[in-house]
Amino acid sequence: MSITENILCSKSHEYLLKNDDETYTIGLTDYAVEQLGDIVFLELPDVGITFSKGDTFATIESVKAASEIYMPISGKILEVNSSLVDSPETLNEDVYENGWLVKVKATGDISEQDDLLEYEDYKEELE
Amino acid sequence: MTKETFLHDKHVQLGAKMVDFAGWHMPVQYTSIIEEHNTVRNAVGLFDVSHMGEVFVSGKDSLDFLQKIVPQDISKLVYEKAVYCQLPNLKGGLIDDLIIYKLGINYYMIICNASRIDEDLNWMVRNSKGFDVKIDNQSHNYSLLAVQGPKADELLRKMGLDTMQESFTIKPAKLCNHKILISRTGYTGEDGYEILVENRYSEELWDKILEYGKEFGIKPIGLGARDTLRLEAALHLYGNDLDENTTPVEAGLSWSIPKNKQENYNGKDIILGQLQNGCDKKLIALKMLDKNIARHGYDVYFNGEKSGIITSGCISPSLGCNIALAYVKNIKEICNGATVQVMIREKLHDAVVVKKPFIEKRNKVKIGE
Repeated sequence: MSITENILCSKSHEYLLKNDDETYTIGLTDYAVEQLGDIVFLELPDVGITFSKGDTFATIESVKAASEIYMPISGKILEVNSSLVDSPETLNEDVYENGWLVKVKATGDISEQDDLLEYEDYKEELE
Repeated sequence: MTKETFLHDKHVQLGAKMVDFAGWHMPVQYTSIIEEHNTVRNAVGLFDVSHMGEVFVSGKDSLDFLQKIVPQDISKLVYEKAVYCQLPNLKGGLIDDLIIYKLGINYYMIICNASRIDEDLNWMVRNSKGFDVKIDNQSHNYSLLAVQGPKADELLRKMGLDTMQESFTIKPAKLCNHKILISRTGYTGEDGYEILVENRYSEELWDKILEYGKEFGIKPIGLGARDTLRLEAALHLYGNDLDENTTPVEAGLSWSIPKNKQENYNGKDIILGQLQNGCDKKLIALKMLDKNIARHGYDVYFNGEKSGIITSGCISPSLGCNIALAYVKNIKEICNGATVQVMIREKLHDAVVVKKPFIEKRNKVKIGE
C-alpha cells in the first residue's frame, strides 16, 4: 500500500501521517518539493517545543527562495529528521520514507484535522 | 497581460517550470537549477533571453545623443564593438544598465533589461530633444538566444559559423541560412554568444542548436540558473543590485567610467564627484560561513551595528557555499577578509567579505594571441 493513501495534506502542502504509536509524522508533499525545485537548506525546530496549528515550525530554501513550513496540527516535537539538515537534497528524491521532517505528539483536538485533505483530494484541488 | 516569447511553446514542450518575470512568462528551470548551472560551467547551455529589449539608434546626431545619456565614451567605440554602459538620471542614479553595440556609421544597437524598456525609452526620448536621432524600439521583432559555456564556440563552429571574433564584438552572420547578428557577450562569466534573430526563425534556431549541441552535452537553461551564474560572476542584476538611487560608483562600476570624457552627460557632476571624493555606500561580495542563505533585503551588521543590506544572494553551485552581494557603509574596516553578520530569520550569521567576482571569469577571448 502506498504511503499517500494514509496521509492527510494541508493546503499549504504539509502532510500528516498517523503512526502506530499514536504519534504523527509531518513532512512536505511531493508536489510542494517538486514546485520548489532543488532544495538546498532546511532549518528544523528543537525537540520539545510545542507549536500550535498554523505556526511556522521549519524553514526550507530552494535555490530561488526561502519558504516557511507550517504545523498542520498543534503538537509537541518528539523527533526531528536531523540527517536532512546535512543533506537537504534528499527531499528532492523522497519526501516520505527518508524525507520526513518531524514527529510530533498531538496536543490539540482531533477536529484540527477537519480542514486537511486526503491525498487524492489534495491532488485534485491542485488541478 | 503577460507576454510570451516566440519560444514559449518550446519551453512548455520541454517541461519547463514557467514563471512571470518582468511581465513575461519565462522558464525558470527545465530540470534542476543546479544541474543547469553546472552544464553552463562545464559544457554549454542555451537560453531564451528574448524578453530583453533591443533599441536601435540612428541619425546624424546618434553619437552626440549617446554621449549625453551614458557615462561611457561612445566616440571610442569602433565598428562591430560592444561596450557595457549605464543609463544614469540627473542625480547619477541608474535607470538601467545596457550594452551598446556599434553596427555602422551613425547606427547603434542598445540591449537593455526587459523590466526597464519603458523607462529607458521614455528617458531616451526625453533626452533626444534637439538631436537629429531616431530611437527605434525593435524588441518585439527580435528573439535573442544565448549560447553560453566553454563548449559554446566549438558548437557554433560545428554549425558552420565562422566565429573568429573577440569578446564584446558583434557581427552579421548566417546560421542555418538565416541572417543573424552574433555577439560574443553573455551574462554567465563564461565564454559564449548571444544571437539576435528575427522572431520567425527563432524556433528553428532553437531546435538546431539543441540538436547540434547534443554531442557537447547542451541543455536548455532557465532564469534560475541564469541568476546563480551571473551572481557567481558578480554581474549586477537591475532591480536587485542597481536602481535609480544607486550610482555606478556606489555599484562598483567605476572601472567602466572614463575619467576624461569631454562631453557632458546626465549625472556627470555627481558621478565624477564620487569618483574623486568617494561615496557613502559600496557594493561588497560575501561568502556565508554557515549553510544559511542571505537573500535580497536581509540586513547586514558590522560590529553589532546595522550597516547595510543584501541585494542578491543564493547558493553557489560552483563553490559549494552560499554567496551574496550587499550594499554597506563605505568604511575602510569593511574590507576583504573582514567578517560581517547577516540577519536571517532573527538570528545573525557570519559572512566574510571576499573579492569580486566569486569565480574566475572565462569570458575574455582575444583572437590572434
